[in-house]
Amino acid sequence: MASLLDHSARGETVGYSFSQAAAAPVKQHGFYPYTDNGGSTLGITGSDFAILAGDTRSTSGYNINSRMVPKVFKIGGDAETGEGAHIILSVVGFAADGNALKERLDSIVKMYRYQHGKRMSVSACAQRLSTILYQKRFFPYYVTAILAGLDEEGKGALYSYDPVGSYEREQCRAAGAAASLIMPFLDNQVNFKNQYIPGSGEGHALEAKKPEPLPQDHVKQLVRDAFTSAVERHIEVGDNLQMLIATKDGIQEVFHPLKKD
Amino acid sequence: MNHFPEAWGRPRDDVYGAYNPSYLQTSGPKTHTSSPAVTGTSVIGVKFNGGVALATDNLASYGSLARFTDVKRLRVFGENAIVGFGGDVSDMQYIDRLLESIDIRENYSSHGNMLNAKNLHTYLSKVFYKRRSEFNPLWNHVLVAGYDGDGQPFLSSADLLGTTFSAPHLATGFGAHLAVPILRRLFPDEKPLEEVSKEQAIDALKQCLKVLFYRDARSLDKYSIAVITKDGIDLKENEQIESQSWAFAERVKGYGAQTK
Amino acid sequence: MDKLVSQYSRSAHQNEFYSEQEQQELSESLPPLSLKFSMPPVDNSASFLRAMTDDHSNPSCPIKLAHGTTTLAFRFQGGIIVCTDSRATAGNWIASQTVKKVIPVSRLSRGEDKPSKDPTPGLLGTMAGGAADCQYWLRYLSQQCTLHEIRHKRRITVAAASKILANLTYAYKGYGLSMGTMLAGVTPQEGPALYYIDSDGTRLPGNLFCVGSGQTFAYGVLDANYKYELTEQEALDLGRRAILAAMHRDAYSGGFINLYHVKEEGWVHHGFDDMNPIFWKTKLDRGEFSNVTSEL
Repeated sequence: MASLLDHSARGETVGYSFSQAAAAPVKQHGFYPYTDNGGSTLGITGSDFAILAGDTRSTSGYNINSRMVPKVFKIGGDAETGEGAHIILSVVGFAADGNALKERLDSIVKMYRYQHGKRMSVSACAQRLSTILYQKRFFPYYVTAILAGLDEEGKGALYSYDPVGSYEREQCRAAGAAASLIMPFLDNQVNFKNQYIPGSGEGHALEAKKPEPLPQDHVKQLVRDAFTSAVERHIEVGDNLQMLIATKDGIQEVFHPLKKD
Repeated sequence: MNHFPEAWGRPRDDVYGAYNPSYLQTSGPKTHTSSPAVTGTSVIGVKFNGGVALATDNLASYGSLARFTDVKRLRVFGENAIVGFGGDVSDMQYIDRLLESIDIRENYSSHGNMLNAKNLHTYLSKVFYKRRSEFNPLWNHVLVAGYDGDGQPFLSSADLLGTTFSAPHLATGFGAHLAVPILRRLFPDEKPLEEVSKEQAIDALKQCLKVLFYRDARSLDKYSIAVITKDGIDLKENEQIESQSWAFAERVKGYGAQTK
Repeated sequence: MDKLVSQYSRSAHQNEFYSEQEQQELSESLPPLSLKFSMPPVDNSASFLRAMTDDHSNPSCPIKLAHGTTTLAFRFQGGIIVCTDSRATAGNWIASQTVKKVIPVSRLSRGEDKPSKDPTPGLLGTMAGGAADCQYWLRYLSQQCTLHEIRHKRRITVAAASKILANLTYAYKGYGLSMGTMLAGVTPQEGPALYYIDSDGTRLPGNLFCVGSGQTFAYGVLDANYKYELTEQEALDLGRRAILAAMHRDAYSGGFINLYHVKEEGWVHHGFDDMNPIFWKTKLDRGEFSNVTSEL
């Protein structure tokens, strides 16, 4: 309370640690509950499908733990095979938190089907995932999640999240270590940012190219290009590319090799 | 309120004290509840055609002191799973008690103990994750070896944070730096598991243990090795690293008085 | 006695797992109605959270949350104009350029955010600061407003709704929430009403607010041209122009201009438009922004 009444503390120095404070005292506890397992994920939607992809490398520091740890999961299907699932989730960041989150959402989607006798819609699942993340607002899940599936009209739906649950429906999103490498590429290739229609005008009258849903084969190629490029320039991305494709016929899983260095 | 949204709602320095980055530290003075005391070093594991082999040395260190030289860090669970422990020995013994009581409880059930290595690994990783979420971690990094539900060889790792991953060959601790490259060279990804024989796997483990003994200051030349095949578990706990050659030591230069 | 015995005798089986209760909570398909947040098990949970997420004090903190904004709202004779940018930043990274920072707070079934000519009944909230905080708490407020409507058979007043939010942010003061929000609505009891609520617990009624990193730039334009008697078209143009100025000068603001008009019957969406063509139109057609060259 003293500090609240201490007028000398006010004035110019009222701060929010704008400048890095002098070395803080060493604290007598050292358990740090997070680690970063690296890797990157990406999702793109089309008119009748949604694709989520991720690399399968798991790292800690400069070590590669394993070359085959998937980051994209089927939600609400059979526990072993994922059969019958209609929603896909990708998580990147701290893998143990990611797993806990995936299992929690999976059991919630299953409970929903049991309690309501119908499948959970992707929009409902998206909202629920947001509240799950926010319930750990003060001890966050250290993950960036992307949720995808087909909406009520059968169109591809994709929702992206921050670690504490703010979310937004988008056409495409990259997350994780190489997000800053992949996202600008997607802006240009999926949302046609900074692409103009040739001959539509001169100078400022040049007309911007309108984004439209892309065909599935084209999107698959974009995903592969995004990852092969990210692997070239990011040490935490590589080994294999896992792609889950949600269509009205179910979810298809594809693997592609990436560079192993 | 000012016009920096990042600052809103955050504790102001003049009211709550300065930002304290010490929570971010991963090293520095620690209390005894949150750091290991008596520790074991690497655990290494390799899958081969029809089974899995796991090995550790028999040392428990107290800091830099080689304190106990006959600590067995491989534990058999049920009839078809083995756990290899790295990290804190007291926590290893706690988990051992835990596994023992689960085994007993499972055996009392009408169907007998049906838990395979995969089930055991899932359980252990959840225990680790729960304890890290309570900030009261079990300071271990374990490898679980055995068979999964389909009868395929299973090898997977879980650590104190609850992180899990699996690969055809794994190593914890110093072994992650020294043994894994050796194993990746001997058994590259292109080589299918069917082409790796039991003898090759065991030889590889012995070679890794030897290299670790050469270079890991917290390791020992006495070791335990367990081999799981369909015929059962073959556990040897008092092995000795053979045919050591310290000839390479002569060529190590640049340290201490040896400057030429 | 039993307690004593149990204290000194070990149970036949060790148990180390989630309790039944915990497991059930993990799979609950509806979020709990009571506000239950899991806390880090350390002495000072707020300091822990801050160490992990305060990218302002420590740019290399591990968890970066989405931030940054310009939002504005003002009352005029024809109702209330609400206008925002659409950029979200995490550190220096632009996390998104398409954030919907105007959040309908009303009966959820009517809260469909699609541009339409017919007004949608309900209030509007704006989002500045932590994106998740604003989304979650405005969602919670929607729930409370809906319950109010069901219980009392009439729509909640803006004063009451803003008070619910302010009471909440005050209860969580010091925990590290970050939000600066405006609530706008027109009700029969109050007429057009506008409130500002932030995560310190402040709640202010007013005619005109700008909130966020670009607030100063927006205030500059707004104060110069604002008067209560503006026509509807003038008011819409002013809102758009003020946000445009902030997007131009504030690095943390940008993307699309999201424009709403709140009237007696409800709110109307007036577009979510890319700022770039609007900027050039403003410059080339009206001769403003003469500091920028138009040569290519």
